[in-house]
Amino acid sequence: MRLGIFISDYKGLTDTVDRLSAEKLGFIFVQNGVYHTTVKENGKSSSLLDRNANFYVLEEDLAMRGLTGADVDSRVKVVNYGDVVDLIFNDYEKLVWL
Amino acid sequence: MSMIDLAFIIQRPPYKSESSTLGLTHAISYQVVDMFLDEGQGVVPKVCFIGEGVLNCLSGQKAMEHYGVTSIEAHIKNALLVDLDIFVCKEDLERFSIGEDRLVDAEDMGADKKLQVVPLSQIQSIINNCKHLFVF
Repeated sequence: MRLGIFISDYKGLTDTVDRLSAEKLGFIFVQNGVYHTTVKENGKSSSLLDRNANFYVLEEDLAMRGLTGADVDSRVKVVNYGDVVDLIFNDYEKLVWL
Repeated sequence: MSMIDLAFIIQRPPYKSESSTLGLTHAISYQVVDMFLDEGQGVVPKVCFIGEGVLNCLSGQKAMEHYGVTSIEAHIKNALLVDLDIFVCKEDLERFSIGEDRLVDAEDMGADKKLQVVPLSQIQSIINNCKHLFVF
C-alpha cells in the first residue's frame, strides 16, 4: 500500500504515526505541521524525519509563518498546492490527515 | 491613578487556532476599556510569548498574500504601535533556534516599542504581579 500522511500539527502526533506503516510512505507537512521540517528543538530535528519515507512541505504554509525553503531540512522537498494535488492523485492510494 | 496590571500569555503556535490572534486583539483593546472603568482607574496590559507561542513572533509572515487573512505579524505590529509591552521568552527562542534578528519589528511603521526578549524568570514575575491573567 502507498500511504500519504498529512501532518497538520506540531505536537502530539508521533504515537499515531508510529503505528502506521506502508510499502511506500509519504509525509506531507501542512499548517503547523511545517514546523517539523524547520524547527530544531534543542538542536534536534523532528523524529518524524528519521522515518524511511518521502517528505514534502507546503510552501504556502511555510510562507504564512514567516518561513522559507532555506529554513527547511534537506530531507524535505518544498511543494506548492499543485504539487500536493499531484501527490494525492498520482502517488498515494490512501491518505490520512493528522 | 489606580492601575490594574493585566498579563496576556500566548503559548500556542500561530494560525492553527485563533488563540494567538485573540490574545493580541484582547490586549490591544485595552485602549477602549477605560470607558468601562471608574474615574481614576486604568489598565496596563503586558503580552508574553512563551513555549511554542514564540513561533508567532517570526517576521515575514505572508498570511494575507496566501490566505487572505491578517497575519499575526500585523497584529503584533499594531500592538507595538499602541505602545504595548510585549515580551518573548529567551529560553524558548533558544530552544527553537530562533535568532532575535528573525523577530517582528514595527520600526518601519514608526513604533517606538520593540519586542523585548527576556528570561523566563521575568515573565514569571509579570505573571506573579498581575491582577488578571489571561492564557491563550
